[in-house]
Amino acid sequence: MKSIMKLIKRFVITLIFSLAALLILNIILLFTVVQPDTESSGGWKAAARVAECLSQQPDGGYELTEEGKIMLEQRGCWAVLIQDGTGDVIWHSENLPEEIQLHYSAAEISWYTRGYVADYPTTTAAKGEDLVMIGNSKESYWKDMYPAFSLNMVKNLPRTILLFLGANLAGVFLIYMVVTSGILRSVKPIVQGIQALPEGEDVYVKEKGLLSELASALNLVSEKLRYQEYELKKKDQARANWISGVSHDIRTPLSMVMGYAADIEEDAEAVEEIRQKAGIIRIQSIRMKNLVNDLNLASKLEYNMQPVKMERVNLTALLRETAVYFMNLDMDGKYPVELSSDIGGISGNSVQGDKELLKRAVSNLLLNAQIHNPAGCHIRAGLSEHSGKLCVTIEDDGIGVTEEQLRKLKETPHYMLNSGTDSNQRHGLGLLIVQQIITAHGGRVEFGHGMEKGFRVDMFLNKPEESIKIVEKEA
Amino acid sequence: MNYDYLKNKRILFVDDEEGLRQMVCSILKKEGYRQVESAGTMAQALELCASWKPEFAILDVMLPDGDGFTLFEQIKSFLDIPALFLTARGEEDDRIRGFGLGADDYVVKPFLPKELLFRIQAILRRTYKEEAPLLELAFSRVDFERAEVIRGGEHLALTAKEYAILQALGRNLGRIVTIDSLCEAAWGDNPYGYENTLMAHIRRIREKIEENPSKPVSLITVKGLGYKLIAKSR
Repeated sequence: MKSIMKLIKRFVITLIFSLAALLILNIILLFTVVQPDTESSGGWKAAARVAECLSQQPDGGYELTEEGKIMLEQRGCWAVLIQDGTGDVIWHSENLPEEIQLHYSAAEISWYTRGYVADYPTTTAAKGEDLVMIGNSKESYWKDMYPAFSLNMVKNLPRTILLFLGANLAGVFLIYMVVTSGILRSVKPIVQGIQALPEGEDVYVKEKGLLSELASALNLVSEKLRYQEYELKKKDQARANWISGVSHDIRTPLSMVMGYAADIEEDAEAVEEIRQKAGIIRIQSIRMKNLVNDLNLASKLEYNMQPVKMERVNLTALLRETAVYFMNLDMDGKYPVELSSDIGGISGNSVQGDKELLKRAVSNLLLNAQIHNPAGCHIRAGLSEHSGKLCVTIEDDGIGVTEEQLRKLKETPHYMLNSGTDSNQRHGLGLLIVQQIITAHGGRVEFGHGMEKGFRVDMFLNKPEESIKIVEKEA
Repeated sequence: MNYDYLKNKRILFVDDEEGLRQMVCSILKKEGYRQVESAGTMAQALELCASWKPEFAILDVMLPDGDGFTLFEQIKSFLDIPALFLTARGEEDDRIRGFGLGADDYVVKPFLPKELLFRIQAILRRTYKEEAPLLELAFSRVDFERAEVIRGGEHLALTAKEYAILQALGRNLGRIVTIDSLCEAAWGDNPYGYENTLMAHIRRIREKIEENPSKPVSLITVKGLGYKLIAKSR
């Protein structure tokens, strides 16, 4: 709609300018084309001139000077001098046509001087009491026989002119509106269509009327966009499926590697060295298992193929469950997990989230601590509150990270997100998953230094809207 | 506690990978399971079920001529036995629950033999518990059938809550069980808020099973996380 208003505004301005230009043009035309022809006062001046050039002779007759004669000749007209009282012509020019009478009654004078004498347009001038009348050439003038105009009309002329002007303008505008509304009707759907395109809506404009070509082009563009989007989604899905398929195929062979390695590790009759090596194989195959799991999940999250089931999740219970699972697998007790919570009461530690995904995030962090600290370390799992958000912290007192590594973690994207071709970007897939999961919950992740220079990860989650207060019960 | 009686149970393992079948069978045999058979297809498995009548089935979810769930349905029509599913993806959760099995009853590939063995034992124990003798602790024995603790000739009855808690700990012998799991076992849905009460019950259980309740050796506290029940070491 805005663009259409702009169109109308522009038209009105153009109209005003063109009217002004036309006005000026007309004035110029008036002066150059018409002016030379308007010599309406010429005949009257000539009559006056003749009157001046006539001089009375001693014998009572009149004589016209040479100047007068030349002028009459130039103008191609004749002249008479009518005596006052008698109405007789007491002098006439030499070229007087025969049909011109030599006597005029008062009535005739009135009539002829208003208009014509024998089809010659007349102009007059006074000579004393007498009248000089010139008969101009028949081609020179057209005279209005009734040259009187209503006084009212003349007085109101400015207003009348304005009225005419206004009416004309309105008429022009009306015609314009009628004509352009037809165009607008064709343009509007196209304008709307174009505006809708970036919104990702389906666009279809009827392909008829003035702008049918434009409409069909627009429809083509919309279809193309839709198709491209569909193809993109298909490609993403295909990629996620492929990754899922590959990770699936790896699992069975990995089971056998893991299984036999564990078997050898626990074989009391095997050589100690062999048992140790088998132990390493087992640990590495666990690492591969987690990599495969993480890769699968990361691709699903990345291509939005992982459904996120939101439900009420008790974070304390979740942390306990995950920590216990982790510790039950830690046969040697090298990675004791301590749970601490700053949140009092039972109501404050719930969030809306996908339980399995959140468990995965915490597990990954615990595993990370294990992988990076082969000699063992203390792990603290904490729950606290920070400026209205719930914070889950996993930190260890192990090797930790240098400032450089920390910076790299924060800035360098993982290879899945990396659109560059530098293969040196491989980085913390496990941490990437954590970020993806927490982001999918509308939260954020921060890395830093843990207790005694270890590593620390803080996950900030939003508190749910309502909080249900659960009161301690007695059994 | 002597779980030897379980090692006699007939176990069927179904997976299309020859190598995996060999490995699992050898793991089971090493652990002491005396009767283990395997099959590579649905058809083979059904044949074995009809002729050999296993008492427990471990089924791979993806088989060349069908899937583990369909196979299990067919087995159930003539054999009432428990099953453990071997899946390559964790999302089988919903389908497994739909079969009336708990979330425990599947193992994701790749797995540590320990994991598999633990699950198998847990399911077998759960299914064939009527044959189970007493749970031997350091200073007492627990009779789950009669819901009582036997200490030095004395028979001490267990309350309903104590029984539920002990049972949950007993199912996970030697492993940490979270406070939340114990609360859920004793108080069912919406167990939150019972932590202090749980502590009271644990105290009372210790008074029954331990020599010195203040220095427990059987029912251990794992600070902040949960509790662990340790059987008598042999």
